[in-house]
Amino acid sequence: MNETLGRWAENFIGLFAAGGQTFVGLVTGIIPLLIVLLTAVNALIRLIGVERIDRIGEIAGRPGLRYYPIRYLLLPAPAVFLLTNPMAYTMGRFLPESRKPAYYDSAVSFVHPILGLFPHANPAELFVYLGIATGVQKLGLPIGDLAVRYFYVGLIVIFMRGVVTEIITNIMLGRKAAGREETDEQLLAEMHPTLSEHGGAHRPHDSGHVADEIADRPAGRPAGRPADRPANREGA
Amino acid sequence: MNGLNRLLVRIGKAVGGVVGALYQAGRDSVDTVIRNILPFMAFIALIIGIITKTGVGDFIARHLAPLAGTLPGLLVISIVCAIPVLSPLLGPGAVIAQIVGTLLGVQIGAGAIPPQYALPALFAINPQVGCDFIPVGLALGEAEPETVEVGVPAVLFSRMITGPAAVVIAWLASFGLYAGK
Repeated sequence: MNETLGRWAENFIGLFAAGGQTFVGLVTGIIPLLIVLLTAVNALIRLIGVERIDRIGEIAGRPGLRYYPIRYLLLPAPAVFLLTNPMAYTMGRFLPESRKPAYYDSAVSFVHPILGLFPHANPAELFVYLGIATGVQKLGLPIGDLAVRYFYVGLIVIFMRGVVTEIITNIMLGRKAAGREETDEQLLAEMHPTLSEHGGAHRPHDSGHVADEIADRPAGRPAGRPADRPANREGA
Repeated sequence: MNGLNRLLVRIGKAVGGVVGALYQAGRDSVDTVIRNILPFMAFIALIIGIITKTGVGDFIARHLAPLAGTLPGLLVISIVCAIPVLSPLLGPGAVIAQIVGTLLGVQIGAGAIPPQYALPALFAINPQVGCDFIPVGLALGEAEPETVEVGVPAVLFSRMITGPAAVVIAWLASFGLYAGK
């Protein structure tokens, strides 16, 4: 009985002993380098000044094919490096509304690929990279190659994400604008039942009081629709 | 004499500025390590301890490692993580990605997954990055509510395409990584 309990306790403590060993390995292996590297990069950012990338932001919003690499490569990468997660997303303010989702997608996708070389950009999520890199290190292999490749594949991926998301956003904005035109026609038909043979036939709240219906209508539709219509047409 | 004084003051100010920036940078980095990195290291160390000492590691090695050790398997992982309903749930704090990354790291270290799969795996476990944060991220970019309304599904749908595509790109880029070692 005592023996079983003893063995059980030993196994139980063993879990944490193994964890502790891993912890010491991480602290002595990674933290010293990390602190010095973080200090260097933080100092560099302070000396450069983050407001320098504002200019890239202003150029990146322009239309035209040649501004794509600026918008989804040259803007998000330095933004993530200098402003770090999550302030890098504020650079979206320079872009037209229809490009903001794509810029966000592009910038947020870079907060991990940058970690191999510049862990200051997103230290709270370091283990997305480090979890796998530690395993490679355990095999006695250098992780520098992995870090560099993670970085440049990350650059390719954020550019692709920006372009694909911009296309999808434009399709959705177009569909939304088209959908609104339809609802406008339906609305007109409802307001003047004589103009359309379907008008008023299958309305859910067929009370018969025209005045009531008109009063009801704004509440029945999602808020803010009429106001945003011109903005979205322009975006599509 | 006055000119020399002014020069000295200017040098002093410039040096002071650089030293101040370095000192503040050091303070920031130690602060970051204590507040963000060390707690996560403790958490990860505990998880590694548990998975290596209990049978969980063997279980993962048998079931997940074969999946993560091939391109089709990694594509399956990336597609699952990119499903628009799941991705915002998997996103917060990248905790899931960090845990799965650590699990795969343990398997790579144990030799169950070849090391060159580390690169595509980094993308396979992470197509959900930032999917929980889209409205906040867009708000930081001063986007209108109407943009957020369209932007959230646009990003989520885009990940269905770009998630697996990123794995393929990373897989192509992993040729020659740790070859012959």
